[in-house]
Amino acid sequence: MTTLFIDDKEITVEPGTSILEACRRHGIEVPYFCYHPELSVAANCRMCLVEVEGWNKPAASCCTPVSEGMKVRTRTEALKKDREMIMEYLLIHHPLDCPVCDQGGDCKLQDYAVEYGPSKGRYSEPKRAVINYDLGPFVNTCMTRCIHCTRCVRFANEIAGTGDIGVLNRGDHMTIAGIVEEALESELSGNLPDICPVGALLDKPSHDLARPWELSHHSSTCIQCPNGCDIQIESRGEQVMRIRPVEGSPEPFICDRGRYVYDSFRSPARILEPQIRQGDGFGSATWEEAFARTVELLKDKRVGILFSPYWSLEGLMSIRLMRDAVFPDAKVAFDLHRRDMRPFAFEEGFSMTTEQIESADQVVVLGCDLRQRLPLLMLRLRKRSRQGRPVTRIGAMNYRTNMSLSNDALIRPRDWHAVIARAMEQVQQLGKTAAGMDEWMASVDGRHEAGKLLADALMADTCALIVGEEIRSHEDAASLIYGLDLLMRACGHAEEGRDGRNLVPEAMNAQMLSAVFGDVRASAGELFALAQAGELDALVLVGSDPVGDGLFPSAAKAALERVPLVQVGAIEGEISRYAEVKLPAAAYVEIEGTFLNMEGRVRTANKPVKSLGEERPLWKVMMRLAMEMGSEPPVVSLEELREALYAAMPEVRDACNSVECDACLIRVGRNRDARALPRKTAEAFPLDVVSRYSMYREGMWARASELLSEAGRIHALDDVLVHPDTLAELGLKPGPLVVESFLGRHTFDIGVRDDVSPGVIYIAKRGVAGDLSDVTSARLVGCGGDS
Amino acid sequence: MIPSDPKQVTQICFDRIRIPDQRRLEVARANGAYSFLPTVLNEFNSEQIIEEVKKSGLRGRGGAGFPTGLKWSFVPRNTGKPTYLLCNADEGEPGTFKDRDIMRYDPHLLIEGMIMAGYALGVRDAYIYIRGEFVAEARVLNEAIAEAYAANLLGENILGSGYSMHLTVHRGAGAYICGEETALIESLEGKPGRPRFKPPFPAVEGFYRCPTVVNNVETLSTIPAILKHGGDWHAAIGAPNSAGCKIFSVSGHVNRPGNYEVPMGTPLKTLIEDYCGGLKRGTVPKAIIPGGSSAPWLTSEHYELPLTFDDLVKAGSMLGSGAIIVMDETADVIKIARRLSHFYAHESCGQCTPCREGTGWLERLMIRLEAGKARASDIEVLRDAAEHMAGRTICALADGAAAPVLSMLKHFPEEVRARVVEKAA
Ligand SMILES: Cc1cc2nc3c(=O)[nH]c(=O)nc-3n(C[C@H](O)[C@H](O)[C@H](O)COP(=O)(O)O)c2cc1C
Ligand code: SF4
Ligand code: SF4
Ligand code: FES
Repeated sequence: MTTLFIDDKEITVEPGTSILEACRRHGIEVPYFCYHPELSVAANCRMCLVEVEGWNKPAASCCTPVSEGMKVRTRTEALKKDREMIMEYLLIHHPLDCPVCDQGGDCKLQDYAVEYGPSKGRYSEPKRAVINYDLGPFVNTCMTRCIHCTRCVRFANEIAGTGDIGVLNRGDHMTIAGIVEEALESELSGNLPDICPVGALLDKPSHDLARPWELSHHSSTCIQCPNGCDIQIESRGEQVMRIRPVEGSPEPFICDRGRYVYDSFRSPARILEPQIRQGDGFGSATWEEAFARTVELLKDKRVGILFSPYWSLEGLMSIRLMRDAVFPDAKVAFDLHRRDMRPFAFEEGFSMTTEQIESADQVVVLGCDLRQRLPLLMLRLRKRSRQGRPVTRIGAMNYRTNMSLSNDALIRPRDWHAVIARAMEQVQQLGKTAAGMDEWMASVDGRHEAGKLLADALMADTCALIVGEEIRSHEDAASLIYGLDLLMRACGHAEEGRDGRNLVPEAMNAQMLSAVFGDVRASAGELFALAQAGELDALVLVGSDPVGDGLFPSAAKAALERVPLVQVGAIEGEISRYAEVKLPAAAYVEIEGTFLNMEGRVRTANKPVKSLGEERPLWKVMMRLAMEMGSEPPVVSLEELREALYAAMPEVRDACNSVECDACLIRVGRNRDARALPRKTAEAFPLDVVSRYSMYREGMWARASELLSEAGRIHALDDVLVHPDTLAELGLKPGPLVVESFLGRHTFDIGVRDDVSPGVIYIAKRGVAGDLSDVTSARLVGCGGDS
Repeated sequence: MIPSDPKQVTQICFDRIRIPDQRRLEVARANGAYSFLPTVLNEFNSEQIIEEVKKSGLRGRGGAGFPTGLKWSFVPRNTGKPTYLLCNADEGEPGTFKDRDIMRYDPHLLIEGMIMAGYALGVRDAYIYIRGEFVAEARVLNEAIAEAYAANLLGENILGSGYSMHLTVHRGAGAYICGEETALIESLEGKPGRPRFKPPFPAVEGFYRCPTVVNNVETLSTIPAILKHGGDWHAAIGAPNSAGCKIFSVSGHVNRPGNYEVPMGTPLKTLIEDYCGGLKRGTVPKAIIPGGSSAPWLTSEHYELPLTFDDLVKAGSMLGSGAIIVMDETADVIKIARRLSHFYAHESCGQCTPCREGTGWLERLMIRLEAGKARASDIEVLRDAAEHMAGRTICALADGAAAPVLSMLKHFPEEVRARVVEKAA
């Protein structure tokens, strides 16, 4: 440790800390613009000057490391003058348009001008004008306000990994500019306005709509992906104006999906009052009327329950309580991406924190579009690769990552067994094995070379395995995950404290879902099949949109043609057109509640925004439903509900009661007896089908958001893609082709891209080919005459 | 031939510069080039060489005057990374034109110095970053390098010594700032030339974040003589703390402008009167810029000053690159300061607030001042704006930009006031 004196105060910090960081950590204010704790140091604004005893000129504190016994002064007459001059230089060309600038009231330049600036600038020469540029739908530019701190450039390079923003020209002609005149190729672009210390980059959707001091602040948890970032919601009256990350929380940034989804909170798709089907449309109803219709539909019926994993833990617990009280035989499904319902050797959720993954010796990503699924984890991988640490990826598609991977292999989903078996062979040769491995390998015929990359990475001291949806949604997922579990155990990555097994879950709350619903869960596909086969009389849907999302849209539609649907939820989806009754439940930002993210961190939402209509917290709707159905409501207050939750998951109570809530991690389920051996069934068709998740299009909230839909249009890939070799082998050309699968023959425009694995048809789930999501294999044939 | 008696030495880098065709290897060799190289490569080790260079008292000739041996000794060994040697041949400092003569008339001197330096530092790849406008010089250098490769003076296993070094010439694109060593490194890496903040210093993290030594052409060209004659020999030349000879590029109102290499400590007046044929007009100069345009100005009271690092600092200026710009009584100091302000405003890389905004501000104020359109209150503004640039930025360009304006205000307040008053009347 290094001890130094700042303004005569003795301070001890880690060696190598900058003076500025030392000041920040000890509450000593030193003004700065260009420094940002998450970015590399640029040291260009020169606002952070301090004096160091014995030095003949002031030092920039952000780039000067502390040294033993150093004596630093942060407030002297000379520094006062220096800061005054820096402010005067900065304001030379800065427009004096604070009254019309959104940043006004929340602006470093404005604040410092008041605190450190001269009372009047003396510059009386011509001012510079700077051209604005287009950064896409989320970022507004007003470049005359730019102070050239290059935070945005460093953010684009280092965090977003796009390099889309750069510095042009020199001297006072220097300008910050988008390198290409188009939207930022980044899912993190909404952070730029936060990063910019002035009003040069502003939030476009909320531009010119509100002043900072008019906004009230709410805190909540983002449920748009399993990362569950803390969010601050800023609203004016009932209007949500924007969502921002929370300072000091585990993630200093949030992704565009979580940030811009807010326009859906007030979209026409919200279910704000009870509704009952009337012919082709819906009519408003009272709660009494709506429940009466519900009881009619469900009383004494065989019911299947489908729900979204995105409710709060309390909401989910109330679903379980309601089910047990009213439909004790009902199967429930909440995962729209799981085909294989056998228990997994390691359940959904992460054994490691994202910080641990960032610093692990090796990271292997298997079959996952991390940038779309977990953009904040992708950010950490980018960070680790900047530090020279490796990332290996194996999967069906070279998903765009905005970073360079150290190892990369394209495979077809049907190759996974051979990949794992190849890895097993290699680790066994090095003397590492686990009971059951021989048997597992013996039931796989081929070996795939991509397994070498996996085995190589497993040799490291710490290895984070991130298993994605290509495996989780595999028809033989349980055996693949068991195979990976064997590998991890053989290589010492399954032991307490070194557990590297991470299965990317469907959504939030995975640990709770497998703990509380493990005994009654079914696949969504199974529920639809039962309904279609006449073995169910009705479906109850609590959130979720299996017609718009997931892997069973065709099955869902077929089922709903046969059985009635009761929908409880905050927002409509494509499924709503099948509903008989809609019961409004409060949205995630409108409740107080507890959530679990993929790492098992407990997140609490405690300052909700106001509800708009008649919606009630989900647990109240569930309890009312139980009552209406003639049961005694299992709980009558939030406290009782929480007691029930804590009884099922005592760790959650401990975490909630802990002062260090962030540090308490709820553990992921393990199924020691999940010994699934590879199935030996041949695929029905020669090509594998993989469906693509898009953060801008997945989920009812995102689809109801115009902002995200716009981004989805900008960032969209072709709907159906194959590798050029796949077509060449079949003697086909890109263009309209027939995809033949168990669903029949469909014609699509097929594009080619060499970052799809040969042998794979890659489809955008939300595009025109969305219905193909049900399919795992298919054949391509030419259209009509020209084949 | 350079005398082995230090007292008789009058020049080092320019010793063979007037020999016709010295740029050709054959001629250079006939005159002693590379004659001592085998001894160095076969009999000296790295520590010895660095020790000799330290003893020699050689200080960088690029502008900062940093002790060369000390700089070399900062390079960490056994880092597992390569060490690079970069020769700074950007020669952008206004008034400076000395490196150019070494490169075009005696390129083998520089190459020999680089091989020796490279050997001492364990360098495999060395680069000469040459000012973009030096088209002919780059060609001469490349021809000389090709000859040296052909004679196994460069490349693998130089002269059978087991030491290998490759040398590449890289042409700049015209930015003054790329002469600043860390901007030079950025530029050589293919990025815009913007200086890096220090620490880390290039010796530890330089070219591609590997240990790197950047030395000026003249500095490196002095190495062969130092190794041949010994550090003590060099230390005995010149003045205390300013060992050796120095090339001064003299320009302005003198009768014979040009490059003159003289032992350090030679009085300024001697240089101008004995070597440069005296002033064009008058007996004492009105103003002198002694170390390139970035150096603060001196006036007639300093005319007899010995040209050493310390004496110039004591007089409030610096030796810099050794470019001496002489102004006689006809000089319009305001116009000159304005012109230099334009240079720095044009050349600022733009990253530091005081330099980016200050250089433009100074220029605009100076334009008004020169045109007689400045108010009296502008003088204070000018001083404030210039004073708070210097010493507060990433690199020293801002100091250089402030120097002419501050010098003008310091030494010629009446002229400035007169210009302001002129118009106001
Ligand atoms: C703005 C600026 C421009 C510079 N230009 C040059 C140059 O053209 N040539 C040079 O040798 N050094 C130049 N320098 C000095 C270099 O940064 C560095 O100190 C020098 O190359 C080191 O070599 P030396 O130790 O041999 O002098 C410049 C410095 C600054 C601040
Ligand atoms: S746009 Fe904003 S963040 Fe970017 S350099 Fe300018 S002031 Fe800094
Ligand atoms: S002082 Fe000027 S030239 Fe040097 S780094 Fe800063 S802005 Fe660039
Ligand atoms: S914060 Fe140190 S220079 Fe900008």
